[in-house]
Amino acid sequence: MDEKHLLKVTDLNIEFHDHIVPETVVYDFDLTLDEGDIVGLVGESGSGKSMSALAIAGLLSRKDMKKRGEILFEGVDLLTCERSTLRDIQGNDISVIFQEPMTSLNPVKKIGWQVEESLRIHTDMTKEERYQKVIQMLEDVELDNPEQVYNQYPHELSGGMRQRVMIAAAMICAPKILIADEPTTALDVTIQAQIVKLLKRINKEKKTAIIFISHDLSLVKQICERVLVMQGGYIVESGLTEDIFNNPQKEYTKKLIEAIPKVDRNKKG
Amino acid sequence: MIRNGKKNYNLIVGSIITGFILLLILVGTFYTPYDPDAMDAASKFAGVSLKHPMGCDNFGRDIFSRVLEGSRTTFIVAAGTVFIGTFFGIIMGALTGYYGGIVDEILMRFNDAMFAFPSILLALLFISLFGSGKYQVILALGIAFIPSFARIVRSEFIKCKNMDYVKNAKLQGASNIRIMFVHILPNTVTVLLSAIMIGFNNAVLAEAGMSFLGIGVQPPDASLGRMLSEAQTYLFSAPTYAIFPGLIIILMVLGFSLLGDGLKSEE
Repeated sequence: MDEKHLLKVTDLNIEFHDHIVPETVVYDFDLTLDEGDIVGLVGESGSGKSMSALAIAGLLSRKDMKKRGEILFEGVDLLTCERSTLRDIQGNDISVIFQEPMTSLNPVKKIGWQVEESLRIHTDMTKEERYQKVIQMLEDVELDNPEQVYNQYPHELSGGMRQRVMIAAAMICAPKILIADEPTTALDVTIQAQIVKLLKRINKEKKTAIIFISHDLSLVKQICERVLVMQGGYIVESGLTEDIFNNPQKEYTKKLIEAIPKVDRNKKG
Repeated sequence: MIRNGKKNYNLIVGSIITGFILLLILVGTFYTPYDPDAMDAASKFAGVSLKHPMGCDNFGRDIFSRVLEGSRTTFIVAAGTVFIGTFFGIIMGALTGYYGGIVDEILMRFNDAMFAFPSILLALLFISLFGSGKYQVILALGIAFIPSFARIVRSEFIKCKNMDYVKNAKLQGASNIRIMFVHILPNTVTVLLSAIMIGFNNAVLAEAGMSFLGIGVQPPDASLGRMLSEAQTYLFSAPTYAIFPGLIIILMVLGFSLLGDGLKSEE
């Protein structure tokens, strides 16, 4: 049963222990993900959506917080497995794109070096093979002059280009799951649309499952098949995107949907 | 070297002075007009002349040759000190800054204890335990310099470790050691560089001070501080003996400070 799903999260609870009073930020989080899925995670700031995603990526410190439940990735529990196993899975099978393309690239390293990093760690390709792969990847995320970009530093690129580089770096090891943590929030609308299109294309071509975190419901509606709505650490509603948008059950979901600017609808109507 | 239409004079002057000193040291390594240790009773306290451009000391040794050799010794001691201080400072700062917690507490309290004593006092203690000489001075000053470098590196690491690119490196599967030294360390270089410049100056002065007190480089080795200390008895009979080593110390320190300032404003 577990083997069937690529990722199966059950009853995930995250509790912070770095203050005197423990604080729970995520309650009973459930999620299943199969190859090629795109799942949206929506909710206001502080609703626990990023926390859940970081836990799946294995980025939460094991020291300061307590986690209960299971995160099964192809049968391996990421919460209890060895650190070395986790490191193998990170980057190789699960990748993350962060919100802020300005700070998620190392300012003193060349783009090519940074995109290569996963290859350097997880494979034993030669320098030449790595170079070819990076160039091909940069081309794949629709960057012009990949050879030039390879030798540039992050400050020489625009926000949109950096986010493409981030996607290239995340996708280079052909991960099975890509977690996109508000990947378009820091970008302007036209670039947003391009990035979303790019993610969709990657999903279709490479069968990568994507967890798309956003508070922008209109984007989620465009890209995701299923949606989880979170509030205050709880999943308040989940299901197919269509159902949720057409027939929201909970008050909170209704409010969120109402909050989408209506210009679009008026035009249609 | 030109920014916003303004020339970076600090950098230019600093590089010229430092370049001049380095050239002097380089020449002194391969060629000195006389053997720096050769005594010649006939030219005792000889004044400035074509034969002896800086005159001679109380043993008739050529001061110019001794200045060349002395600046080399001083430079080596200062460079060695800074190297030891930086190397171990980086390791200590990286570990404490990156991991935090109990390791940080223990190492930083130890650091504070080191800070509580003037570095020259620590060096004195060390010398009295292990004897004096060029290499002991390097080791003693080097150890005394570790805490200040460790602090600087630590604060930079604390700043960097929560950046997204570090998270990203973690996600790419990089190990902690790799993240510390390959991903974060290059980001601290600019701060580290000016710290190295300042540290180098302090080391030059500390070596001169220790040799002046007679606990540094031992005779017959020449070092700038050693020469100053020997010269004080003969200030009136051979004023050049004090003036030139002092001048070189000034130039060395000035050159490196200007260079450090210049590099900082280039950033």
